[in-house]
Amino acid sequence: MAEPVIEVRDLVKRYADLTAVDGVSFQVDRGMMFSLLGPNGAGKTTTVEILEGLRDPTSGDARVLGVDVRSGYRKIRDRVGVLPQDFEPFDRLKPREAVAYWAQLFGRSMTAEEISGIIQTVGLADRADTLAMNLSGGEKRRLGIAMSLVGRPEVVFLDEPTTGLDPSARRELWGLIRQLKREGTTILLTTHYLDEAEQLADDVAIMNHGKIVARGSPAELIAQHGGGSSIVLAGAGEDGLRAVRARGITPELQGSDVVVKVPVAGDMRRMLEKLASIDTPLNEIYTKRSSLEDVFMNLVGARMQEGVLAT
Amino acid sequence: MKAFGTQYLRSRVGAFFALIFPILLILLFGAIFGSSGSTTVTLYVQDLDNKPASHAFIDALNHTNVTTTRAIPASANFSQYIREHSINVALQIPVGFQDALAKAQNGTKATVNLTLAGDQTQSSYGIAVSVVDAVATAFNLQVVRASPVVNVVPTSIPGLRHLTYIDLFLPGIIGFTVLSTPLFGMTAICAEYRSRRYFKLLATTKLSKAEWLAAKVIFHIVLLFVSVALMVLTGIFIFGMKAGLTPMALLIISAGTLEFTSMGMALGIFVRDPETGAAIANAIGFPMMFLAGSFFPVDAMPAFLQTFARFLPLTYINEGLRATMTFATDSTALVDLVITLGFAVVFFVVAARGLSWKSK
Repeated sequence: MAEPVIEVRDLVKRYADLTAVDGVSFQVDRGMMFSLLGPNGAGKTTTVEILEGLRDPTSGDARVLGVDVRSGYRKIRDRVGVLPQDFEPFDRLKPREAVAYWAQLFGRSMTAEEISGIIQTVGLADRADTLAMNLSGGEKRRLGIAMSLVGRPEVVFLDEPTTGLDPSARRELWGLIRQLKREGTTILLTTHYLDEAEQLADDVAIMNHGKIVARGSPAELIAQHGGGSSIVLAGAGEDGLRAVRARGITPELQGSDVVVKVPVAGDMRRMLEKLASIDTPLNEIYTKRSSLEDVFMNLVGARMQEGVLAT
Repeated sequence: MKAFGTQYLRSRVGAFFALIFPILLILLFGAIFGSSGSTTVTLYVQDLDNKPASHAFIDALNHTNVTTTRAIPASANFSQYIREHSINVALQIPVGFQDALAKAQNGTKATVNLTLAGDQTQSSYGIAVSVVDAVATAFNLQVVRASPVVNVVPTSIPGLRHLTYIDLFLPGIIGFTVLSTPLFGMTAICAEYRSRRYFKLLATTKLSKAEWLAAKVIFHIVLLFVSVALMVLTGIFIFGMKAGLTPMALLIISAGTLEFTSMGMALGIFVRDPETGAAIANAIGFPMMFLAGSFFPVDAMPAFLQTFARFLPLTYINEGLRATMTFATDSTALVDLVITLGFAVVFFVVAARGLSWKSK
């Protein structure tokens, strides 16, 4: 039977003129990777900071490892790892020193081998003796993850761990996060990158304006809210649009591409045959599976770029 | 604490201001004032005669614009009073002052000796001797037509070591360092920790705020002890300083460090960024440095500023350090230590309670 590690029920965080978190409920079971996905200001960080014991909720219940986050956090501090949003390491400490220092703050005395092991795990072995101020953005986040792991935590909160990193550094960090999950760590990941949530999470909650607007595995969300697959007539333009309409099909024009939604998978072959007969000049025809991007567009009514909604 | 110390020493600016800058101040001020006077001299006067002639003599001293007189009660033991109140230079007008003048005016030969007690190696003493001599000469000329009646008998303060300018100056510099290193340091640290979200990061560990603050206090005490040792050694070996560190001085330095580390942390409650932090620390620290007697005696300031200085925590550190290091009067320093500890406890409680690591 699944063991709940994080339990959130009717969580509300209200400020004078803003309700940042508005009745959020979810549960994360042991060993799962759960992602809160949403644009900036959706309430992800507020939710996760309540779960980290860094903010008090206005109302509702939040429990981590069976403990009420408002009153009992001291009992579980060393079982919880945290990588805060916009993590910055202490500039004038080297990764090796920072990990040792952080271990002391959790009441642990780590051997040199244990410290090297953690640094190796996050891929910083070559940079272990470099001042943190000289590390790259990706290396700093890796150091942050190393520091969050010193207590051998059962649950780790990663608040937008890849924001601001280049694609290569993001993918390297994904590998590290997957490794943590394989080791059985329960992970709560907040992100505004749709592909990140789709790639990493077992379970995704899409947040907007403080509420969870959809919840499920990426596959479930795509199946329920993705609008099915699409056929793309690349470069068909206005002529292609008219030609498709002439066959009684409702297309969309996205740039110079004509896109035809195919909500039912069984209709794909028949639709492809219909569209293949169009003699309008085009670059290529291809099929496209729905993604969380489509789910987000359908649910929120806007696309999201770097955490900002673009209508 | 080790990690914090490592970071601090790697920040060369912090290490410079904590360890090197005070020594530079001693070298600079020692070189400038080591052999000459500097400020208006406060002259304590015990008027044992308490008659119109002695009052006129004191008025004349006050009109020189070089000395300002303050009364020592006639009932006090002159030498003991000087020691207990850490007085640099004091004048005693004996009983019979007016009678001697009256006799001289009537043509009878008479003399009266004024006792000027102080450290004769000190510049303020030399100024006081000159002024009292000048006033006595004027009295001799105007009152008794050039027949010398009033004689000044310079004498050292009984039981007091012969001191140099640096002996008086160094406690003030130590006081300045006890204020500046932890106050400016902690305010900057709070600003950095807040703007870079280190407080939030620390809040995710098992460390409590009180433990963090205590670690910072201990670190600054160790740092201040090293800094003070360097200053004292500089004073001894370069300027031949006689004043030395005493157990009471170390207690006052420790209490003062607790006080200003906590004050820096308490100010951190209001600090949102490094610029604000520097502005707040400067606004509080710099006036206190100058008004609390670090660089020149509180006695030399106007009366209203002297009253104001009584409300400044640094005043008691400076006075306590001077009392124990320069005048060897630990009983006086003990009062300053108790007051400093009182301030320290208040600031520590405010800091530990007021600074929240949690977000609202």
